[in-house]
Amino acid sequence: MVKRAAPKPRRRPAATPHQHEAGRCLGILRELSDFIDDELPNDICLQIRRHLGDCPHCEEFVASLRQTVSLCRGNPAPALSANERALMREKILNAARSR
Amino acid sequence: MRDRFDTLYKDHVDLMYRYANRLCGEAEAAKDLVQETFLNAYRGFNRFRGDAQVSTWLYAIASRACLRMRRKRKGAPERELSLEEFIPSSEGEFHLQIPVEGLSPEEALQNKELRQALNAAIDKLPKKYKMVLVLRDMEDLSAKEVGTVMGLSERAVKSRLHRARLFVRRELSARGHAEGNHEPDHG
Repeated sequence: MVKRAAPKPRRRPAATPHQHEAGRCLGILRELSDFIDDELPNDICLQIRRHLGDCPHCEEFVASLRQTVSLCRGNPAPALSANERALMREKILNAARSR
Repeated sequence: MRDRFDTLYKDHVDLMYRYANRLCGEAEAAKDLVQETFLNAYRGFNRFRGDAQVSTWLYAIASRACLRMRRKRKGAPERELSLEEFIPSSEGEFHLQIPVEGLSPEEALQNKELRQALNAAIDKLPKKYKMVLVLRDMEDLSAKEVGTVMGLSERAVKSRLHRARLFVRRELSARGHAEGNHEPDHG
């Protein structure tokens, strides 16, 4: 039986530190809200996913932007009591009559 | 007229109060804004043509009233947000410095400190960016509906929304909340 050589691990490009002012990362930054809202054409999404695979900084940045949007969506707002609703209605109708 | 107003009020007062509270950040100012909104709606009821949903019409009235109230207070002039200012300059700025890993947004937001940080960040947004963020990400309107409310193109809405999200992200990232600082609080 021929022993098959273990497959070589896929080489991920080294995450070299880079300046995020650099064109590619800034280009990605512009598209990120549309990306996380799933509003980009497939080919652009693919380009962004490839970039994220190569750039841990941008990947982390996207994750933090997603978390931010999720927190905004889940942020509760206080509600009015029945008394407050009734009192405001009276004030509005009084103001409508008086002006 | 009175019956129609009562129906309008009953069906939408909670929605408008939630929106007003998110815009104003405090209860009394939110109540003033709701009153102003429904007063204007009462007066303009006959001019409402039904082209948009009633809620969209009310959101638009509330948004205009909010901008008017702000101008009366003569606050600092609104500033524009540029994309370049949101590029992180050091490694620590790429992720959120807040304890959200492994938690749903609802669980994470039980943390009072996180809730306060989020609300403070949203509150610091220039008004025109804040309105777009609140309408799109908190009131769950589509970009097209936000455009109708604010009299903007969909493209302009998306541009403002993106800057607003980046602003809030940066604020949460910069607050330096310590890891493991997420004891739930139900207050």
